[in-house]
Amino acid sequence: MDDYDTALVLSRVLTSGVVMSIEKSDRELPGLERSLTRASGRRHACLVNSRSAAIHAALTGLGIGHGDATGGAGLGPPERSFLAWLGVTADDDVPPPFALLTHADDLSDVDAVALVVDLTGLGFGPAAAFLTDDAGAHARAERLKIFGSYDLRTMWTQEESGAEVVPGVQFNYRLSPLVAACARLALTKGARS
Amino acid sequence: MITDFPSAPLPLPSEDELTAELAALGGEAIVPKGLRRTIFPVITKEDVFNLLLATRQDPAAVVAGFAEKYRDYVGAAYALPTASGTASLHAALVGAGVEPGDEVIVPAFTFIATAQAVVAAHAIPVFADIDPVTYCLDPAAAKDLVTERTRAIMPVHTHGLPADVTAIRELAKRHGLAFVEDASHAHSASVDGRIAGSIGDAAGQSLMADKNFPLGGEGGIAFFATADAHARAVEYLARHGIDYRMSWIAAAFGASQLERLPFYDAVRARNAALLGEALEGTGLFSPPHVPSGHVHAYNMYRITLNPEAAGLGDLPVHAVKEAVHELLVAEGVPAREWQNTPIPCHLPFTHRAGFGNGHPFTLNPGAVRDHVPQDFPVTLRMLESTLVLCRELRSPVEYERVLRYADAFGKVARRPDAIRDLVREKDYPRPYEKAARLG
Repeated sequence: MDDYDTALVLSRVLTSGVVMSIEKSDRELPGLERSLTRASGRRHACLVNSRSAAIHAALTGLGIGHGDATGGAGLGPPERSFLAWLGVTADDDVPPPFALLTHADDLSDVDAVALVVDLTGLGFGPAAAFLTDDAGAHARAERLKIFGSYDLRTMWTQEESGAEVVPGVQFNYRLSPLVAACARLALTKGARS
Repeated sequence: MITDFPSAPLPLPSEDELTAELAALGGEAIVPKGLRRTIFPVITKEDVFNLLLATRQDPAAVVAGFAEKYRDYVGAAYALPTASGTASLHAALVGAGVEPGDEVIVPAFTFIATAQAVVAAHAIPVFADIDPVTYCLDPAAAKDLVTERTRAIMPVHTHGLPADVTAIRELAKRHGLAFVEDASHAHSASVDGRIAGSIGDAAGQSLMADKNFPLGGEGGIAFFATADAHARAVEYLARHGIDYRMSWIAAAFGASQLERLPFYDAVRARNAALLGEALEGTGLFSPPHVPSGHVHAYNMYRITLNPEAAGLGDLPVHAVKEAVHELLVAEGVPAREWQNTPIPCHLPFTHRAGFGNGHPFTLNPGAVRDHVPQDFPVTLRMLESTLVLCRELRSPVEYERVLRYADAFGKVARRPDAIRDLVREKDYPRPYEKAARLG
């Protein structure tokens, strides 16, 4: 993406006045979610603020937590360290339960049930997504990045709901709309070229 | 193009409006519909320009430049920019030496991220009640919770009012604990000239775009008093493969906003003083108490109700609060509860799933309690007897608007009969009897 495009999209979002991820009127995060679900053919996208957060979201979505074991074949040292920090044992002989990809990969040509897509290389700061067809996995992943039993748009005002997806530890893994807007345009331009 | 510029100016209030019928009973609202929106954050042409300039710079340098500029403003020794406030608290805790299974004392009244950051550090949050006047962590309550496994105490500068840092420092010193500040509400707040974030052994602070000092989206920053603590946090994140890096976009916006933070702080302080003076005159309402030497940042403005001063002392205070809340909202003042139950009564701390299979709570079962709201009587009393203004006063709102807020409180306070009628008509539940809310 050239500098003019970046300048244009940043100016557009700043002019809208909506730069918070939990703003009801934000359109940038849903926009990037749509771009990624279209590109991957997956139904759901959970946007987060780093590659490690996306791995955490994928594992949580798949129901893998502290004390569990999972596949770790092919994972690099940072990912293996992160799994160990989560208390998840990585088996070197078994592939991980998610495909670890970047924005440069063809997301439509991946067979895995869960995709972790690192968008950091687009150049707008750490950003990533967990993509899946499984609504339950998506709901569990979303709950990891927000606080309490709420969704992204109603964290402040909504009463606790969906307690069947019991929140455990929760992080603010939320992606910023400005970053999402730039990432979306870059992905779109990349796809066109 | 959607723009956040207001569609019309708010007229100055008049005496007639103050004595008119309550909006809830058919009168005109003090803040008319269509003119209630407040803008936050304020984004200027300089912010746009500075963000565009940053596109031509090295991203790492943009983030480092922002962190250094803000570190210098706060007066902390070392800084670590992060992707969120929660991440900054996590980094502050591990930098201060918190280890898995350790106990960290936190207030029962705060945003839930304070306690979740402790869990992120694989440690156990131990909840203490709050001070009845400042609504910050009560050092005496915290003292009673210190055990051999306690490693740190993390007060919150609640709503922007610095906690009793002298007593907390003394408590920490006596028991060999780390003193970690949660300064997420307290940008520019200070005690005896020392800005929040520079007072403890370490501190975490949210810089999300809804805070007094907003970045361009999500962000946070951890501060450390020593190079060792800073290095420990940096090494911890690297060793565990945790990516908490801040986006350069958020940082560039923040560096631009920092130039105007003192201006917005001054407007906020002016508005708080103006509203406080008006509230004092109502009898029914009291403004936030600010101890001598403390500078309140007013990220939120918590108003205490005194029903007995309005001849309503025979009614349950929570019911008076609910009735007043309805009347204020009808007048166009979007007051809110902002929390309705102690944090340990929220689902993550009643279920305690943690990272899975109960970790880290299983590391130290002796520190875990099945709390009920009544374990925190001061917090409950506060939740029952207070209302909060958030963005409505955080934003550098115009003079006309703060005058109208003041008039709305005055108008409602003049009508104890209407408050009494509402309490009689409605069976208001206590705050904690409703589903837990964060805001």
